[in-house]
Amino acid sequence: MTKHEFEVAMTCEGCSGAVTRILNKVEGVKFEIDLPKKLVWIESDKDVNFLKETLEKCGKEVKYNGTK
Amino acid sequence: LCSVSLGVQGMTCGSCVQSIEQRIGSLPGVIHIKVSLEQKNATIIFDHSQQSPESLSDAIEDMGFESSLSE
Ligand SMILES: [Cu+2]
Ligand SMILES: [Cu+2]
Repeated sequence: MTKHEFEVAMTCEGCSGAVTRILNKVEGVKFEIDLPKKLVWIESDKDVNFLKETLEKCGKEVKYNGTK
Repeated sequence: LCSVSLGVQGMTCGSCVQSIEQRIGSLPGVIHIKVSLEQKNATIIFDHSQQSPESLSDAIEDMGFESSLSE
């Protein structure tokens, strides 16, 4: 599986909680969230655009930083 | 037009409130939305030909918050 790094404009635990619940609904992903750094790492074989659109559901801006 | 009040769990601050108001407020058929952090709810006025209490609750859930249809 590929590990992708995304920057998500999270500002509080409400945001990181929302991202957690969104990603929990997606099958076949493992993820880690660093709220202070506003980073989300996702391990998945899914398409990057799909992952980005999934993250954008939380209503925050999302930037793809590449694979890690 | 219809009006519904939905329970919303998981918001912690004004920016949570704002993102929900922005995203749900921009859905087709949503006329007005007011989210309250203290009362943990969202009051939405909508066009019932385009939205329903269930579709609005699903949309909030889709954003990663927990939503319930209250009486
Ligand atoms: Cu937040
Ligand atoms: Cu917040």
